[in-house]
Amino acid sequence: MSKILEIKGLSAGYGSLRVIHDLDLIIETGERVGIVGLNGHGKTTLFYAIAGLTHWQRGSIIIDGKQIGRTRSQGPGRYTHLVVKEGLAIMPQGDEIFHGLTVEEHLDSGAFTPESWKNRKQKREEILEIFEPLKKLIHTPVGRLSGGERRMVSIGRGMMSEAKVYMADEPTLGLAPKIGKGLLEALLKIDLKNSAMIIAEQNVALLEGKVDRIIGMHAGKLKGEASSSLSMGLKN
Amino acid sequence: MNDIVFLLINGITVACIYGLVAVAVSITWSALGLLNLSYGFIFSFAGYGAWLAERHLWGEPIFVLFMGIAAGVVGGVLVCLLVFIPVHDKPNFTIRGMIGTLAVSLIGGQILLQSFGPKAKLLPEFFGYSKIKILDVTLTADKIGVIISSIIMLTLVVKWMKSSRRGLEIRAMMMNPHAASIVGIGVRKTGIYVMAVTGAMTGLSAALLSQTYYLSPFSGLTPMIKGVSIALLGGLGSVRGAVIAAIILGFNEALTTKFIGGRYVLITQFTLIIIVLIFRPRGIAGILDKAREA
Repeated sequence: MSKILEIKGLSAGYGSLRVIHDLDLIIETGERVGIVGLNGHGKTTLFYAIAGLTHWQRGSIIIDGKQIGRTRSQGPGRYTHLVVKEGLAIMPQGDEIFHGLTVEEHLDSGAFTPESWKNRKQKREEILEIFEPLKKLIHTPVGRLSGGERRMVSIGRGMMSEAKVYMADEPTLGLAPKIGKGLLEALLKIDLKNSAMIIAEQNVALLEGKVDRIIGMHAGKLKGEASSSLSMGLKN
Repeated sequence: MNDIVFLLINGITVACIYGLVAVAVSITWSALGLLNLSYGFIFSFAGYGAWLAERHLWGEPIFVLFMGIAAGVVGGVLVCLLVFIPVHDKPNFTIRGMIGTLAVSLIGGQILLQSFGPKAKLLPEFFGYSKIKILDVTLTADKIGVIISSIIMLTLVVKWMKSSRRGLEIRAMMMNPHAASIVGIGVRKTGIYVMAVTGAMTGLSAALLSQTYYLSPFSGLTPMIKGVSIALLGGLGSVRGAVIAAIILGFNEALTTKFIGGRYVLITQFTLIIIVLIFRPRGIAGILDKAREA
């Protein structure tokens, strides 16, 4: 197996605040990795640092052999579109949606590579098969959907492109347990041929047995690692 | 009866010219977060572009009109390169952007003054001098031309925003810039598209106004002030709101000129805007919006 994502010595933060401390992480092709940790321990910041959305960062991030990390001190998001084009699909936490676009347009906006833009109709069909409830809402502005439906749209948007690394940030946060489980199932349906997936979660039990590895995150560092069946002893 | 129709036509003509600038201001504000105060400069720049094209290239009126639009695109991209790209990710961007575009507007105006002198220039009539009589009302070709060409321009822009990939990117950025960068939309590249398109709209508006009035280095200031106030009334960021606001203010201008006097246009206009904003702080768009925010 080859390494699809290799992070070495990554530090990142906002202003004078350092959130990620010299973090190393290697993810192989085809792996599904869960990152668990409490609020405020840097899960989202780790994703943002990979995408270049933190205020500053340093360290090396290699996606599929290509260096996307750089030492930067300002301009969050300045290079994010370039990083995303290297094959990063981010399914962000919470309501990072375009409230005035219809579900259809919203899904299209996730097709960032030229090929996926060409195949967007077919991709959309595939996603609607997974998220049945969206079928009826295809021409509704996303701003009118319920929380669960919005999350489906936001995850569906991440699935529109052939990404190399999928990063789902707390996909179940704030949703009813049943809907949350359904969303997670949908995430696990993504075919990881030449790609890998990282799922950040607070709820270890949800990921248990479903991902290949679970890594704990504490105070900006990755702590301990377990195959997902052993994960219960992993708090901290 | 005649008078009323005449007023309506006048109102719509004015609304078309200023509406183009207003929609441009509105799109730039919501897509880039930039309150672009340099549309006055882009306006004059486009006007002089058209004038130069007429003098040195080809005098055909339609060609001159298109050169005006092209010069508007150049002006828009120029402002984007000079102001938006250097400061868009610096702290306090809104204020810096405003100061930067205002500076471009003032310096640019002085450069135009230096190069072309203070003497007002006139562009040819693009649409000829023919007249049509409908129901006892004489319509001049230039008014019909202004209305039709603005509607075509606006329709093209709205269609492009609705159906093309770039348009989708711009609309996505208007709604949530942070999420837009997450799905791989580059702020700077999109900025250039936005400024080129809004520059084209300003260019058309400049060409249309300069054929009836005149062209001078600072003739863009009034259209810009009107454009910004229409955009405010429409609710910054809404194209439909800006169009409706342009029509309302166009009628206001026509009615005020007719019944009170041309000097009072700005007074009635701002009174109207203030009244609307007291009751509808988000402007007309606040009434139109169907989706809830965020």
